[in-house]
Amino acid sequence: MAGAALTAMALSLAACSSSSTSSGGSSSGGSSSSLSGTLNASGSTFQLPFQQAAIQAFKSVQSGMTINYGGGGSGKGRSDLAAGVVQFAGSDSPIPSDEVGNFKGKTVLYFPVMLGPITMSYNLSGVSSLKLDLPTIANIFQGKIKTWNDPAIKALNPGVSLPSTPISLAVRSDSSGTTANFSLALTLGAASVWKLGTSSTISWPSSAHGGNGNGGVAQIVKSTPGAIGYVDYADAKAAGLSFASVKNQAGNYIAPSPSSASAAGSTVTLKPDLTFAAAWSSNPQAYPITYQSWDLVFQKQSSANTAKMLKAYIGYLLGDGQKLLQPLGYAPLPSNILSQAKAQLSKIGS
Amino acid sequence: MSTATQADQAAPGSVPARGLTAGPGLGDRGFRWLALGSGLLVLVILVLIAISTSQQAASWFSTEGWGIFGTVWDPAANKFGATPFIYGTAVTGVIALVMAVPVSIGIALLLTEVVPFRIARPIVYVVDLLAVVPSVVWGLWGILVFAPWIQHIYADIGSAVTGIPVLENLFGPPTSGASFFTAGIILAFMITPIVTSLSREVIATVPAVDREGAYALGATRVEMIRGVVWPHSQGGVVGAVLLGLGRAMGETIAAALVIGSSPTITSHLFSTGYNMPSVIANQFGEATGVFRSALLGLGVLLFAFTIIVNVIARAIVERSARRARGA
Amino acid sequence: MAVLTGQQSPDLQEPAGWRRTKNRIATILMWLSFVLAIVPLIFVLYTVIAKGISVISWQFLTSPIPPSVLPADAGGVGPAVLGTLEITALATVIAVPLGILGAVYLHEYGGGNWLSRFIGFMADVMTGVPSIIMGLFIFSIWVLKFGFSGLAGAFALGALMLPIVIRSTDEMLKLVPDTLREGSYALGASKSRVTLTVVLPAGAAGIVSGALLAVARAAGETAPLLFTILGGLSTANPNPFSGANIALPMLIFQNASSPYPGAQARGWGSALTLIAIAFILMIAARFVTARYARYQR
Repeated sequence: MAGAALTAMALSLAACSSSSTSSGGSSSGGSSSSLSGTLNASGSTFQLPFQQAAIQAFKSVQSGMTINYGGGGSGKGRSDLAAGVVQFAGSDSPIPSDEVGNFKGKTVLYFPVMLGPITMSYNLSGVSSLKLDLPTIANIFQGKIKTWNDPAIKALNPGVSLPSTPISLAVRSDSSGTTANFSLALTLGAASVWKLGTSSTISWPSSAHGGNGNGGVAQIVKSTPGAIGYVDYADAKAAGLSFASVKNQAGNYIAPSPSSASAAGSTVTLKPDLTFAAAWSSNPQAYPITYQSWDLVFQKQSSANTAKMLKAYIGYLLGDGQKLLQPLGYAPLPSNILSQAKAQLSKIGS
Repeated sequence: MSTATQADQAAPGSVPARGLTAGPGLGDRGFRWLALGSGLLVLVILVLIAISTSQQAASWFSTEGWGIFGTVWDPAANKFGATPFIYGTAVTGVIALVMAVPVSIGIALLLTEVVPFRIARPIVYVVDLLAVVPSVVWGLWGILVFAPWIQHIYADIGSAVTGIPVLENLFGPPTSGASFFTAGIILAFMITPIVTSLSREVIATVPAVDREGAYALGATRVEMIRGVVWPHSQGGVVGAVLLGLGRAMGETIAAALVIGSSPTITSHLFSTGYNMPSVIANQFGEATGVFRSALLGLGVLLFAFTIIVNVIARAIVERSARRARGA
Repeated sequence: MAVLTGQQSPDLQEPAGWRRTKNRIATILMWLSFVLAIVPLIFVLYTVIAKGISVISWQFLTSPIPPSVLPADAGGVGPAVLGTLEITALATVIAVPLGILGAVYLHEYGGGNWLSRFIGFMADVMTGVPSIIMGLFIFSIWVLKFGFSGLAGAFALGALMLPIVIRSTDEMLKLVPDTLREGSYALGASKSRVTLTVVLPAGAAGIVSGALLAVARAAGETAPLLFTILGGLSTANPNPFSGANIALPMLIFQNASSPYPGAQARGWGSALTLIAIAFILMIAARFVTARYARYQR
């Protein structure tokens, strides 16, 4: 179902863009001249469904360009970019201080591309709706709450009959921006309870089951009765998982969705380098565990053609590509962030 | 007809007479060096592996010192202790051996002692089919089909042993189908062909005279096996078992998919765990600096362990083969 | 039975009672081990065939790789099939000639001296080195300087194949009778000529069959590729010498962690393709031996 929607979306968007631009064989230059070459990228699996859809749709804008997005987690993307193996990297968190040295002083530009919720996906037959708050989530993921019928969970869900099934934790085994933002939300919203810090890799309790990528965690939750895991909304929806509503700063229980993610994006403080954090927003309609993702690019490219290709593709992601986001389960960027990102495109040079 | 005349002439259209004392020509010598070089390539590669991986791992060794054998692996806190993975490798290896060795020896004995040659051939083919299944396919089947199924069995065993002292610690309730034990089972499936075929080779070298002598004295088959086959071949079978252990330790992909990816040291065999090759495969892509150096260091340790095990195993097998041949 | 007068006849009956039972139990256990070994094999093959056969088609084997979310009929695994064929072929071209030459040294020139025995021993040891180590090795000495490529993957797979080819060729050379060699030397041929024109052709069937088995092993390996070819492609890369590439085992590894039925179905289809390739190579190896081998053990 989601797949059909995705294909239809991509095809119709491709049809729209090819009829509205004057692309073609004309060699008179200008912004719609046809480019050719290959762009390699890797990184955030949060972005992966979006990148895959955008790459397909972009083929009708620039048929001569080949783009490969390899996924692998935000940590892999940053390390591949630093090693020069890819031309852009998807990362859900800014470059942490201990990785800055890998970039050897070269300036990295952050292009935000989207927002989205991190769901608390669970596998409990017979329980179709669940409410959780961040302190309870913190205790679950620290191994302090071990069964589903624990009093703490029961207190938040009066009227729901919870089984005595033990809780199985599904977490990321790779270095992940999703983990970084999930732990950030817990640090902000459950400060007194959450002791494991904020980082791309966390020392989870020993019984946790690690998976690769958002897809891996989704798969664990799907196949393990009694499991709970943190999965981005697009992957959770496509995998057919049930997820919980979470209590936000204003005290409302909000379900994850593109609109509650947009609400979270409306209150962010944008730094000059275009980094920000959408977690634990003060907006009463906001989903508290919302996060964002950037495409990281070196300001100075080694070839003019690569710079042109990057401008074309990232420009697409910030332009028509934003229309692809909502059907997939992401939230488009707020207009103020979008305009600043578009303005930054001109900085990519060679 | 004068034979001398004929012998004096070179046969028409043949290789020009080189004389019986000419040494190897240039092309011949070149070929010899080429062959020598190719042979030495094996040693060169092994040495290069050791050097290049150790070089890349150097910063881990220097940063942690003996802490490389620490029990905590926390990349965020820059702690890279290898013990959880060494533990996982050992545990899964032992589980795999415990399951695979009796089965493999049983099949080897079946093939050498029980079935006539005509049936032995197809049985060998079938056992070799186990080796044809690639590791990643074992992993795919393992995580998508086997693990969900066996999780129920683990849960049943787990609830059955609650309260029993030792068993409770070993077989407590699981949180997932992926675990040390699942990885051990899949590894057992994978090492069975190699242990079987090597054991069979070793057992086949037992002299027929001794076998027949035992039968002549009225021994049953199992008595003959115990009295004749086993003393002759036990060394070689030990070698075969060690080779199976080496293979189990190094098996990466199947283990990575079903072991659960959780670096812990625990007696609970149904718990998620981690082993050396799996963590390298899972985390290498994103590792930089000391983290990457630590992963390569794990690779160096793995290389060292498997080389040691393989050298011992091959030496044992070769020695017992030599003894059986009467050398 | 002749009975010597004055002596008791030897007890030539079947052993009775407990001894016979023990024997029966042992035989049953041996058969049971065989059954235990093939039960997982049957399950794996059954699952792969059942889940893969509905996905496989010519279109599946040639179409580009779609986004993971899309169902199985939305695309295929063409780039991975091409990658496996390219990279394995390249690895074969690298490893097989070197392996044959190495075995030639061990058997023809080494003459059992300490060096050839040591090399043979270390070649055996090398077959036990985990394939992930080969991947790490090529990453350290090649990928860091020259980037990811199908060629790097071919080096890693070739390093894996080399000791296997050396060993199987060596075994084959041992079977070629010395009389063949001696006759050729007697005719005045040089050693290289004897080897190239007489010995190797005589053992060709066994050498080819051993090489085919090595190729089957290499085609199924994942770990060496993880560090050398990068993956992540959606369209095929026909150039194995430069640029990232992808292969069937890597695709299966990625899709094994995916929750989407489409991606999993593509994984099963790829698994069936991979097993079919390995199986065909194995059958070919046995066919070559059965039909063309002049010397067998």
